[in-house]
Amino acid sequence: MQHQKAKHFKCNLCPRRLNTAGGLAVHIQQVHKLEPENLPRIENALPGRDGYEVEIFGMEGIPAPDVADYKRRKEIELGLNPGTISAPPNKRPKVENRPLSEEELRAQLDAHKALMGASEGAPPAAEQSSAAVYGAPPQAYTSPPVPAVSTPVMSPPGVPSVVPPGAPLAFAPPYPVPPFPSPGMMSLIPPGASPPPGFPVHPPGVPPFPPPPGMLPPGAPMPPFPGMRPPFPPPPFMPPGVPPPSSFTPQPSAVTPPAHPTFVPASAIPPPPLSPSIIPGAVGSVPLSSTLMATLTTSSTPAPQLKLPDPNFEQTYAPFKKPTVLKWSDPNFSPEEHRAIHSKYHTPKETTNQQTTGQAQEAELRGKKRARAEDFL
Amino acid sequence: MADQIELSTPPFDGISQVRFSPTSPTNLLVASWDTTVRLYDVETNEQKTKFDHRAAILACAFADGERAFSGGLDTSVRELEFNTEKINNLGQHSDTISSMNWSKDFSSLITGSWDRTVRFWDPRAANAQQSSASLPERIYHMDLVNHTLVIAMASRLFHIYDIRNMNTPTQSRESSLKFLTRALACMTDGQGYATASVEGRIAVEYFDPSPEAQEKKYAFKCHRQTIDDVDHVWPVNSLAFHPVYNTFASAGSDGTVSIWDHKLKKRLRQYPKYHSAVPSIAFNCDGTKLAVGVSYAWDEGEEGAKAAERPSVYIRNAGDEVKPKGWTGN
Repeated sequence: MQHQKAKHFKCNLCPRRLNTAGGLAVHIQQVHKLEPENLPRIENALPGRDGYEVEIFGMEGIPAPDVADYKRRKEIELGLNPGTISAPPNKRPKVENRPLSEEELRAQLDAHKALMGASEGAPPAAEQSSAAVYGAPPQAYTSPPVPAVSTPVMSPPGVPSVVPPGAPLAFAPPYPVPPFPSPGMMSLIPPGASPPPGFPVHPPGVPPFPPPPGMLPPGAPMPPFPGMRPPFPPPPFMPPGVPPPSSFTPQPSAVTPPAHPTFVPASAIPPPPLSPSIIPGAVGSVPLSSTLMATLTTSSTPAPQLKLPDPNFEQTYAPFKKPTVLKWSDPNFSPEEHRAIHSKYHTPKETTNQQTTGQAQEAELRGKKRARAEDFL
Repeated sequence: MADQIELSTPPFDGISQVRFSPTSPTNLLVASWDTTVRLYDVETNEQKTKFDHRAAILACAFADGERAFSGGLDTSVRELEFNTEKINNLGQHSDTISSMNWSKDFSSLITGSWDRTVRFWDPRAANAQQSSASLPERIYHMDLVNHTLVIAMASRLFHIYDIRNMNTPTQSRESSLKFLTRALACMTDGQGYATASVEGRIAVEYFDPSPEAQEKKYAFKCHRQTIDDVDHVWPVNSLAFHPVYNTFASAGSDGTVSIWDHKLKKRLRQYPKYHSAVPSIAFNCDGTKLAVGVSYAWDEGEEGAKAAERPSVYIRNAGDEVKPKGWTGN
C-alpha cells in the first residue's frame, strides 16, 4: 500500500499522494482542474494498467484474472506444480487418445518390461497404493464392522484359491498363449494394452507362482490353453461360514472346471444382481466374455464405447403422438455417460480390464499377480 | 437487495453438482467437469478453497462444516478437508461415481456408481469401505431422507432401502415416467420423493405402499415449449426440496428453474431463463438461498460444447415464492 502510494498514485503537479487510482483522478480533476480526458497516465504502472478504471486499495479489489495471473507467475517462480496456489491453467495432463503406431507400442512394451524388471526390489508407489486399496475389501468383508449390512462376500482367505491364473487375460484368443508352465505369461497382455500401473507383487498368503501341475490346489483349473472356454471363475461371493459346496471338494482331475452354477446355492445365497456378468453359464457367458473382450480391445482402441451391462434391461421409447423434439433421445445412456467417454474427459480406469464388480477385479488382480510372478520364473 | 448474484470465479467447465453446507447457510460446494471441487462463501462471493482432481467430478457431499467428499470419472472416493486443503483417498469403485450422500446418523458416506454398486464408507476407519450392495443397473442418482435411501438407476429402475438393512431393498419400483430418469429428490418431510425424466416430466411419489397413499402419486409436464407446432422437450436435470416449506424447485436443460407446490399441484414461480442449461440446483440449509449452476449439459454432445457459454453459478434469494400459499407454520 505504501508502495502504491509512493510509486503510482502521486500527483504530478503537487506533492500530494493518494491512496487509489480513483482518488488520484478526482484529486487531479478537482484540485488542478484538468479535464478527465487528459488525465496523465499513472506512473510506473504495468502496460495496460495505467488507467484509472480499476480501483485497487492495497490488496483489495484486484481483478480476479490478474490475481490468477499473478499466482501463476509466482508458481512458476517457486517451481511449484501449477494449480497448487491458483486457478488451474492446466487442469490435467493431456491424455493422448489416438491409436498408437507399431513402433510406439513396441517402445512402450520395452519400457514397461524394463520397468517391471527394475522394479522388483522396490515396487513403485502406485503399486503400493493399489495393493492397499485392493487388499482392503477382503478384511472389511470377513469381519464387517457394520453388522446390519451384510454384503456379497468374496471368498475368504481360507478357501482354496481357485482363481485361474491369468484367467481374465486368457480370453483373448488372438494372442498366442505359450504352453502353460512356461514363463512369459506377460505376453498374454495384448500389445497396446498399457499394462496396469505396476503389477502388485504377490499377495500375502498366495504362493508367488503356481505350483507345478501335479500340486495344483484341488479344483484349481490349469492355466488355459488357446481356444479353451473361459475357465470357471471362483465362487466370488461365498460368505464366510458357508461350507464349500460339494462340487468343491478335491477332485482327482484338477483340470476339469467344476460344472455350472451347482456350487452357487442360489437359494441360500441370493446372488447379487450384478453377478451375471461373472457367472458364465448362469445368465451371462455372453456378458462375461463380451465385456472382457470389449475391455481388452478398448484398451488399445482409442474410442471407448458405451455398453449395456445387462442387455435384458434395454429400453426403447414409443414414438411420440405429436411432432416432438426430444432433446436427449438415448433411452439407455445419460448425457454424463456420453460425456465421460468423450476424449476430453475420458479417464482410463485404474486397471486395464476394468470390470463391473469388485470381486471380479480382485479375481483378475490375482490372475495378474500370478502372471507377474511367472514372468520371473 | 438484488434477487440474485453471480459467483465471480465459477468453474471453467460444465457444472455437475452444487451443494450447500448442512451447517452454514453460506457455504456452497460446486463440483465440475473441470476436475475441481470449489468451496464458496456466497455471502462474500468468495472462493474459499479449491480441490483439484485428475478427472471430472460428478458428485460431492458435505459431511459437516469442515469436510466433504468427492467422486467422479476416476472412480476414487475422496475426502476433502477444508482447513488443511488435504485430500484423503478413501477407496475405489470400479466405474464412475455418479452420486453420493452423507448420512449424519450413521456418520457414513454412501456412494453410488455406474459399476452398479452402492458402497458405504466410514472415513475414520482404517478400511474406509464398510460394505457394498449390488444393484441391477447403473446408479444415476441417490437421495437420502432420515433412514430412507432412494436409488434411481438406468433403465428406469428404482430401489428404496432402509439403510439399516442394505441386504434387500424395502421396495423396488419401475419409474412411473416412461423416459430415462434424470433427477431425484426426497421430500423434506420424508413422505416421498420427486423424480424427473429427460422428457420434461416430473413424478411425485410416496413411500407408503398402501393403495391410498399410492393413489396420490402423479406426474406432470414441464420444461417444454411448443415452437411451430412442434413440442420441444428438455431434460429436467435437477430437483431440490425446500428444507422448510417442502415445496420443490426443478431445473431443466431449457435454462429455466421453477418452484412447485406438490401438494396443491401448482407452479408457484418460474424464474427468468438462464443463458444455458441448468444441470444442478440446491437450497441452503435454512432455505433462504437457491444455488443455480448454469452450464452446457451435453444434450447436443460435442457439437453443443463448441458453442457453449461460459459456466456460471447464480445464488438466488428465495423469497415468498417458495412458500406454499397460506403457509401457517407447518
